[in-house]
Amino acid sequence: MNAALEHALQDWYPVAMVGELAPGECKHSKLLGVDITVLANHAGNATESTPTITVRADGAPVDVQQAFDHWWVCLGNKPRSLFTIEEASEADRRFVPCGVVRVACSPLRAVENFLDIAHFPFVHTGVLGAEPHTEVYKYDVKVDESVDEVIATNIKFYQPQAAKSAEGGIQTEYIYRVPAPMAAVLYKTCPLKPDALDVIALFVQPLDEQTCDVWPWMALYDDTSTQAELIQFQQLIFLQDRSILENQLPKKLPLDPGQEIPTKADYTSVAYRRWLKKRGAYYGALEVHP
Amino acid sequence: MSTQPVSLSRDLTIKQVMRAELGDVDMAVWRSASGVVSAWENRCPHRGMRLSHGFVRGESLACAYHGWHYNCAGACHYIPAHPELAPPKTIKANAYNIAEASGIIWVNATGNVAPIDIPSSTVPVRSIPIACPVESALNGFSKHTHQSLLTQHTQAEIIADTPYVLALTPVGSNSVGVYIAFQHVNDSTTVAHITATDNASMNDVVALSRWANEVRDITEFSAGVSE
Repeated sequence: MNAALEHALQDWYPVAMVGELAPGECKHSKLLGVDITVLANHAGNATESTPTITVRADGAPVDVQQAFDHWWVCLGNKPRSLFTIEEASEADRRFVPCGVVRVACSPLRAVENFLDIAHFPFVHTGVLGAEPHTEVYKYDVKVDESVDEVIATNIKFYQPQAAKSAEGGIQTEYIYRVPAPMAAVLYKTCPLKPDALDVIALFVQPLDEQTCDVWPWMALYDDTSTQAELIQFQQLIFLQDRSILENQLPKKLPLDPGQEIPTKADYTSVAYRRWLKKRGAYYGALEVHP
Repeated sequence: MSTQPVSLSRDLTIKQVMRAELGDVDMAVWRSASGVVSAWENRCPHRGMRLSHGFVRGESLACAYHGWHYNCAGACHYIPAHPELAPPKTIKANAYNIAEASGIIWVNATGNVAPIDIPSSTVPVRSIPIACPVESALNGFSKHTHQSLLTQHTQAEIIADTPYVLALTPVGSNSVGVYIAFQHVNDSTTVAHITATDNASMNDVVALSRWANEVRDITEFSAGVSE
């Protein structure tokens, strides 16, 4: 088995939303090139509203856990622990699992795009950005060694409609976290509660190195929008991203410097690529030269 | 790789971008506001986005992803995320040699461009992709000549072979002559770029366009059967 796959096998990935399948219902999917089946179990007692699931990879049952309104699976024999998102236990937030978007791209390119703000005026025109407000001001990026996560802070960007709840343009502040190679968490100014931060996460299920299912998830303060409106807003954004992600060449993410040209605005992605390279997280990446 | 036709000039209008493929070469072909045509590797050096999805502003092609602007020489001269920054000269689109001649855009992805000169090719008809090798397309258009426009006395002549250009010249002074330049996309895809002589009326162009459909159908059918 190659080292990139061996490394990727030890992480947890989402394969379904909690409550997505009815008891007894089954779906077929793929994870890291392996065919999987996801079966919703019949409830042990009648009061259980959402069934647990059983996931089989090549016929054999695998480890499953529930977190952030999704079911997570690890196919490896030395699983790393799943990252935490503290806000997931804050009862006054709205939790919005947004469904799934299949994208014909490397899972790493999907995460990197999520960490990028400079594309907002061009890809999410009139929503997350608009000309002439294109400048990306200096921000801070580091690897937090205590938790081994990439952290980008002090990001500010003008947004015409930062969220479903926003009325008019605001200067939005962003913090990004990359807690696992195929997950990213964003904390951004909440339009309705300026002292709080909305949380938007991207959980990526790698079907193989060049195809992924992306499961966006949000933990917001918004007591006016319906769940459907919140989901539609996020799906609009992500479908705009897909038109980019499926047209990047090469399909796999280059980790060695020199193959693509970054600028100051790309410090988060530079840090992400270095962090992946240092960890040996090469699944979905071009061959790395030491 | 050699010089190949990639589009009729008419079909790439001012401020338009299109995608063309020659073998493994994926390219963006665009025309500036003043009419300058460029053909580049279809990849923004920044994040690899296909430049054929970009947009033209004046004399620049901008990438759809982050709006990086490239001038007609391929040099990046504006990065919207850093409006005050003069981009380093090393940030360049990979440009190919192109020429416009005889109503056709010609590109060589690996060397000097040598367009085929077809003096009487003046009326654009259409470009049509055909799922077959270039030789089969050439054979198809040679054999299945148009019934009314190109009389039974039509002479089919290969007037160039790198790339292939076919001339269908009817006997009779008022008849319409047809030229077909073949774009070798890969071993199973050919694009036929069709033009006509200046006595072709609009009705003739429509008739030739329908004829091209028929030739494509027959050629794809025979190519399928012979496999």
